[in-house]
Amino acid sequence: MTDAQTLAYVQASAIALRLPLDTAQAQRVAVHMQRTAALAQLLDDLHLPPELEKAQIYVPKTHLPLESST
Amino acid sequence: MNYDATTGTTLARQIARGERSAIEVLEDTLGCIAATDGRVNAFTSKTVARARAEAAAVDVRRMHGEVLPALAGVPFAVKNLFDISGEVTLAGSIVNKGHEPAKEDAFLVQRMRAAGAVLVGALNMDEYAYGFTTENSHYGPCHNPHDLTRIAGGSSGGSGAAVAAGQVPITLGSDTNGSIRVPASLCGVWGLKPTFGRLSRRGSYPFVHSIDHLGPLADSVGSLALAYDAMQSPDPLDPGCHAVAIEPTAAALQKGVQGLRIGVLGGYFHDNATAPARAAVKAAAKVLGAMDEVKWPDAALGRAAAFIISASEGGTLHLDDLRARAQDFEPLSVDRFISGALQPAAWYLQAQRFRRLYRDKVNALFEQWDVLLAPATPVSAPVIGTEWLDINGQQQPCRPSMGLLTQPVSFAGCPVVAAPFWPEGTGGLPIGVQIITAPWREDLALRAAMVLQTVGVSHLKTPAL
Repeated sequence: MTDAQTLAYVQASAIALRLPLDTAQAQRVAVHMQRTAALAQLLDDLHLPPELEKAQIYVPKTHLPLESST
Repeated sequence: MNYDATTGTTLARQIARGERSAIEVLEDTLGCIAATDGRVNAFTSKTVARARAEAAAVDVRRMHGEVLPALAGVPFAVKNLFDISGEVTLAGSIVNKGHEPAKEDAFLVQRMRAAGAVLVGALNMDEYAYGFTTENSHYGPCHNPHDLTRIAGGSSGGSGAAVAAGQVPITLGSDTNGSIRVPASLCGVWGLKPTFGRLSRRGSYPFVHSIDHLGPLADSVGSLALAYDAMQSPDPLDPGCHAVAIEPTAAALQKGVQGLRIGVLGGYFHDNATAPARAAVKAAAKVLGAMDEVKWPDAALGRAAAFIISASEGGTLHLDDLRARAQDFEPLSVDRFISGALQPAAWYLQAQRFRRLYRDKVNALFEQWDVLLAPATPVSAPVIGTEWLDINGQQQPCRPSMGLLTQPVSFAGCPVVAAPFWPEGTGGLPIGVQIITAPWREDLALRAAMVLQTVGVSHLKTPAL
């Protein structure tokens, strides 16, 4: 993304999230977004296999031994 | 405080034997805080009445001949993101000032209290833990006790500075990307970031649910291990607590490192460290007999993924307040929070998918090695307000760069002890060494730390406050 594209992205996504940003703050946010974009590019280049699931901590229910729940 | 004479473990022994009362120790502690904190700014609040009641209760138990628990009468303080019953949990912000006071102590504060430790207050930090410098605009910067013009590190800056200043022997902090290890490194104290999922986070204000850890900082390896052991417990009410049993470490600290396979991380960890940081690792390696250089898999990618997940989860957590009152946020981090909230979902999901692959590669590395060494920070403490760092000729933004060497390790969830070293070329300031082990092997990291402490290469220094 160019600087102008990054700024446009920041302003458009802020509207989508109902996050008010004036131009000066949008420009400051865009500097951070541009830095993060460079890091994201490193990961985007990996071409991860489709079966690779994301790391997660979700479990449907805490598992307790049967004797403790009866 | 003279660290040779009055570490937390020594205090615990003296109180247990009746050589000193808990009240006497507490009053000394409060006196030290009063005498030094105007310059250090480690504390944001003190819990004096509660501390006096807790210390008096310890003395009554001893008078009645009870066997006292491991930390009876030992003063401690907590980063102000831990709930303290009756206090508002600030998490470094002014936004949270409007919250209700906590109804009960955080789980780890409860565990410390059950072990007899006496809570004396809450400590300064970066707002919502998003920073490595504790240059908090609301509550003032935390000053490094070894040079008051310099940062204490962050985000648990108050936790590092309070121990370094001799105010308390033990503090609690949080570490998502290095927030225990960075202040431990810059303040010259011991720190332990346990395995991800080892200690319950219940009752602490979150930053990044996927990566948040809690742990102790301390004046000695013994104090560190006692606090860590006291806080261990499975907690089914914290979805991120994966511990199934308490695995004490304090009794085995003296087992040494004979037979352990110990290496030094090269590549990324060498390239992003300055000469003094490398010298600190070299000194540790010499004592521990670490000869071989080891490559950590995908360190730069691990750091990138940790950065993206932190920004996204951290920003989204505060989205409502960012919409309504962004002007009340820390000026140094509010734009990063907003940027994180706006990140594309694809970046976040790619980082989370990579994390599974990364975990497997790191776990495979520890089939070959037991202990790995790396610097904790690229440099010693910069002057407060520093914007740019020179790291081997490369200009890097100061605030995020303080976590360059810690982020890849915590992202894998490995336990790490940060050991205080005092290399040449820093003007007398410390730099920490990370002692990294496989997940769930805190015991090995603490054993290696004990060797470094016993030999005398790694230790605290009393600051001239």
